[in-house]
Amino acid sequence: MTETGGGAEASGATAVSLENVRKTYQLGEPVHALDGVSLEVPRGSYTAIMGPSGSGKSTLMNLVGCLDTPTEGAVVVDGADVATLSDRERTTLRGTTVGFVFQTFNLMPRLNAVENVALPQLFQGVGRDERRERARELLERVGLGDRIDHVPNELSGGQRQRVALARALVNDPALVLADEPSGNLDTETEAEVLDLFGEFHDAGTTLVVVTHERHVAERAERIVHLLDGKIERIEELGSAGDPGEPAEPADGGREDR
Amino acid sequence: MNPLESLRLSWRSIRGHKLRSALTTLGIVIGIAAVIAFVTLGASLQAGIIGDISPDDQRNVYGWAADPDTEGGPLAGAQPVVSGDDLETIEGLEDVEAAYGYAPIQSQAVSSGDEQIAQGDGVIATGPSYVREDTLREGRQFEPGEREAVLNPAAAGQFEENVSVGDEITITILGGQQTTAEVVGITDSNEGLSPFEGFESSPRIYVPTDPYYVEQAGAVELGDEGPGGSEGVGNGDGEDAAEADDADQAAQAQADGGDARFIAVIVEAHSADEDDVDAARQAAIDYLESDDSDASEFLGDDLAMTFQTSAELLQQLEDVLELLQNFIVGIAAISLLVGSIGIANIMLVSVTERTREIGIMKAVGAQNRDVLGLFLSEAVILGVIGAILGTALGLVAGYLGAWYIDLPLVYPLEYVALAIAVGVLVGILSGLYPAWRAARTDPIDALRYE
Repeated sequence: MTETGGGAEASGATAVSLENVRKTYQLGEPVHALDGVSLEVPRGSYTAIMGPSGSGKSTLMNLVGCLDTPTEGAVVVDGADVATLSDRERTTLRGTTVGFVFQTFNLMPRLNAVENVALPQLFQGVGRDERRERARELLERVGLGDRIDHVPNELSGGQRQRVALARALVNDPALVLADEPSGNLDTETEAEVLDLFGEFHDAGTTLVVVTHERHVAERAERIVHLLDGKIERIEELGSAGDPGEPAEPADGGREDR
Repeated sequence: MNPLESLRLSWRSIRGHKLRSALTTLGIVIGIAAVIAFVTLGASLQAGIIGDISPDDQRNVYGWAADPDTEGGPLAGAQPVVSGDDLETIEGLEDVEAAYGYAPIQSQAVSSGDEQIAQGDGVIATGPSYVREDTLREGRQFEPGEREAVLNPAAAGQFEENVSVGDEITITILGGQQTTAEVVGITDSNEGLSPFEGFESSPRIYVPTDPYYVEQAGAVELGDEGPGGSEGVGNGDGEDAAEADDADQAAQAQADGGDARFIAVIVEAHSADEDDVDAARQAAIDYLESDDSDASEFLGDDLAMTFQTSAELLQQLEDVLELLQNFIVGIAAISLLVGSIGIANIMLVSVTERTREIGIMKAVGAQNRDVLGLFLSEAVILGVIGAILGTALGLVAGYLGAWYIDLPLVYPLEYVALAIAVGVLVGILSGLYPAWRAARTDPIDALRYE
């Protein structure tokens, strides 16, 4: 739980570690989206990443999520250095060790809830019956046991995000990466979904949440503040945040507005 | 990913756009249906024609004299050159079983009792063995020199009271003269008996060339002279009519037997064996081209004898048919090409539309080949559905066509398999590029795609 890059000496205890990571985009002139970031995410931790637009949050997320490779430095996910992997190996790593939860839910519109949850396992070659059983079990855990054959259109925003969370968990990933998971939800639903995150964290899931919202970030054990591609500071909150006592009013918590 | 799962997922997205998918497959449906329908019709037509050449017919060679450069089917450009005497001589040749002329009688009407039916063609003067004994349903073959006729069921049935063996019919020929014939036989089929007639079903009356054609030829040449008057004009050396019981008829036949020239002749070989048929053909040609024959005075550079078996004649027809079929297949191939461009186009639209879905799948672990497989199987499903529908439609159209033309139905099953294969191929070819584009979509961009 330290900023200093100690490498992934014990991959058993570290879900993700970033070591002096740079990501440079050539857009006419080089843009350093990430400029020397070192971070470790231990297993079972709950980390929030905050920062204004353009601070490098998305780039960091793409790197941690094995969607992208760093220009410099090493990103080690579940013991594997992402940069050294082939495209195919990276995809497999992503499919098995990272679960994504997106702001816009990103469910397959023509698949029903149970099929959406089972989708990652489909690409891992898991049998149909086994997939369905696992998906149904997860949907029950997120409280949608009675909605398993509904397509996303027939579900509310909160329900969709729960389906997305169930999908993220279906392969027992080393970490769940959530990008503004409550950005499209009303306050009440947001609280429900975040409670659910908390429950899964308590059950041992490693969570990384990227957000603008202070009160969302405060549910984590620590908040990593990004600014201009660098880690500005890491705020330790001790235990998983108490939703009842936000440090600041929710409205004032938006860092970039 | 399991290919079956790809198919299942692809089928899901196809069903998500029913109208679009249906329209997309239409091009393939039309192309395949056209091929199958015409191939079915062609095969049925071929079977129908070949089925009409009975084994007995296969030992016949059909001959006529025409300009060697004339192209076309039987009797194209044929001129009357072979005389009755020639035919007799040919029949006497060692390799020949029988030889007789073939001539349509230009009739106007046929009557039985008080009932008269207009009939402009279908009265055929020929040799007795032209109507083979085993094709007679009733009665017997006509005898040469007798006023006898064999009818086919359509000719017999066109009168209110069916004509039967033993009845007498009156034939009014083009000049207005009337001549009678005793019905001695009824055939069992309404179809033509040789390529000279064509194979379609129609009423036909078969009569001996002598006296009917001989008389008509005489009438045309000599006008409305009485039978006796022709005696002086005849060449008088014919002894063939000696057995004729009626003196006048005998004189007429004798008079014109040498002069009546036949436009078409039929030479029968001893058997359907190819060597026998060729020998009979060669013997007939050798004789006709020699100076001994009456025909030789007309034959030369401008006019040559052609002798062909019905199989050879049909071959020409089949060649035409094949040409037509190739033409249709060519058009269908263009339709298939247009169809596959349609599939490719809609797949490209689909890939763009579903960019976000592709991003989601890749984020949750879909490999490039999984995405490729999904879109490829979608295109293949469209192609195969098009092929199956097209095949079904084509078979139905072929069936209706064959039923309408009254042909025996033959389903070219190898083409059905071929059509499905073409459907798969079209799907793969048209889906390859869109699927490849989908596969190499960058998940980061795709997830951001609105």
